[in-house]
Amino acid sequence: MRLRLLLPVLVLLAAFHAATETLVSTAAPNVAIRGRVELRQAPGDLTRRPNVSDVAMPRGHDPTDRRRSVVYLETAPRAAFEQREDVRVKLDQRNEAFVPHVLAIVAGTTVDFPNNDKTYHNVFSLSPTKPFDLGRYAAGHSKSIRFDRPGIVRVFCDIHSHMSAFILVFAHRHFTVTDEEGRYRLDNVPPGTYTVVAWNESAATESRRVVVGESGDVEANFLLGRR
Amino acid sequence: MCRVFVLLAFAAFPLAAAAQSIPSGPVSAFDGRLVVGAEVVANIGDVDETAYFNYTDYEHNTLRLVRLALAANWRPTERLAFVGEVRTEDFGQPRAYAAYLRVRPWLRHALDIQVGQIPPSFGAYGRRGYQSTDNAFIGYPLAYQYLTALRPDAVPATALDLLTMRARGWRTTYPVGSAEAAPGVPLISAFRWDTGVQAHWEGGAVDVTGGVTVGTLSDPRVEDHNDGKQLSGRLGLRPFTGLVAGVSASRGEFIADNVNTLVPNSPGSHAQTAFGADAEYSRDHWLVRGELVWSRWNIPFAATQTTQDLDALGAWVEGRYRVTPRIVLAGRADRLTFSRFDAIAGLRPTWDAPVERFEVDAGYYLQRNLVLRFAVQYNDRNGGRVRSRTYFSGQIAYWF
Repeated sequence: MRLRLLLPVLVLLAAFHAATETLVSTAAPNVAIRGRVELRQAPGDLTRRPNVSDVAMPRGHDPTDRRRSVVYLETAPRAAFEQREDVRVKLDQRNEAFVPHVLAIVAGTTVDFPNNDKTYHNVFSLSPTKPFDLGRYAAGHSKSIRFDRPGIVRVFCDIHSHMSAFILVFAHRHFTVTDEEGRYRLDNVPPGTYTVVAWNESAATESRRVVVGESGDVEANFLLGRR
Repeated sequence: MCRVFVLLAFAAFPLAAAAQSIPSGPVSAFDGRLVVGAEVVANIGDVDETAYFNYTDYEHNTLRLVRLALAANWRPTERLAFVGEVRTEDFGQPRAYAAYLRVRPWLRHALDIQVGQIPPSFGAYGRRGYQSTDNAFIGYPLAYQYLTALRPDAVPATALDLLTMRARGWRTTYPVGSAEAAPGVPLISAFRWDTGVQAHWEGGAVDVTGGVTVGTLSDPRVEDHNDGKQLSGRLGLRPFTGLVAGVSASRGEFIADNVNTLVPNSPGSHAQTAFGADAEYSRDHWLVRGELVWSRWNIPFAATQTTQDLDALGAWVEGRYRVTPRIVLAGRADRLTFSRFDAIAGLRPTWDAPVERFEVDAGYYLQRNLVLRFAVQYNDRNGGRVRSRTYFSGQIAYWF
């Protein structure tokens, strides 16, 4: 009976020891996975629904950069899951567009949604990962949401049909958003074998298996979209 | 080589959930210059062949209606756009509900001119209620839907003829003009748009819309049936974010020429004149709207070669509250009253039966552009065979 009680404690102690060891060992090398994500077909800008009730030309809005992709490790070292800092990031509303259009965060991050536009906005999401509705609020005001569960959260404005954004919430810190030319770099990846995944809203995800050694960057390129 | 403990990034990363299961945005082509959207609305409700509280001038029951709509906006240049919408109701003949050309002469000034079958200049609901995206209700406000006893193509010979048709707007007959039994008209039709020219200007917190059209608010038309034109306009104000208010006015020839020739000596212009006021305030999860519409028709009575002014006043207030991201609750209180007229000696009844309507709706969003709604609507009428009735109805609406 006493042994049955002791067993879980021993398992927890062993796990703690292993995790501590991992933290020490992963801090040493600075190996990166880098490359480029290209899209076979560049996704078009988000357009407003044709509203025949409008009595004027619709107002212009900032174009949405839908070429940005997110690259992440499908599996990651345990230590990458244990860094839970209180992080705040911003998803702005400017000229009837969410900026940035794609935001990648680690679970536990709080996202501020400031309204820096001239008009009302109503930010909401029906995604199972984090359903929320911030209600209508005017320019100069901001509301925030903390994202604790990993997953994809699609964000909309209830008033402007062409406004949308993606928030990708990760359980670990090995992810990045590509730059305007599709380049990415995942830093501080400990040695090991990983599956690297590239995600873009307009295409199916693709994955690559890569082996990271003690030194030297690893390159993994992606070409997303239908042939 | 260090030891690596490998764990999954996500227990269940819903990659497939990134995109919604059915299209969520409009279809665009030619670098976004052509945009096509659609709307499918199916209302399921009780059969109503006795009270006709929710019938339209197209003889459809708004609580029991299937509507398919296809809308397009083609903007070949920054100054020019072609806008149109084709609809079918209850799988009937598809009709063009909107078809107009929009021109912006000066790109630096928010002045737009529209020509064709255009959105209404008068009031607020007429433009909003056309699509289900910003409408939390299945039913319509009385002023925009309820059929009065008046018709543009047939008129009473005597006051008694009008009195006989009281509370029978769904199917009226008069001895002068068209002999067919047909529905009367609402104060403003929410189901058809008028044809003409419209100008809209916006500057800061003020916007002005004005138009010249061939029909009237009650009877929007593609082709004119009299020589008179309707003038209508609205002045809108946005004093601060969240509040929108407006005042409207309109006047146009109502009676068709086939009737005018039968009552050549009756005085007056037989016009419909209307004034309106509307307001909307929204904040957080609340939205409150209200509108007031006053209308006067100058109707000839053929036997006496006289005319009478028949007035109606529609007023309603509605509110909606988003309880959760998926659930919206809404309620509307609505009243339509009519003026008294000289019917027979010593009797001055209202020329149509006043109606009250209360509606409560609950909406559940399956996804952003797919919603289920349920409504309970209570109607009370001071006249007619059926004086009060409660309806239960459901709706599924999808748009992209």
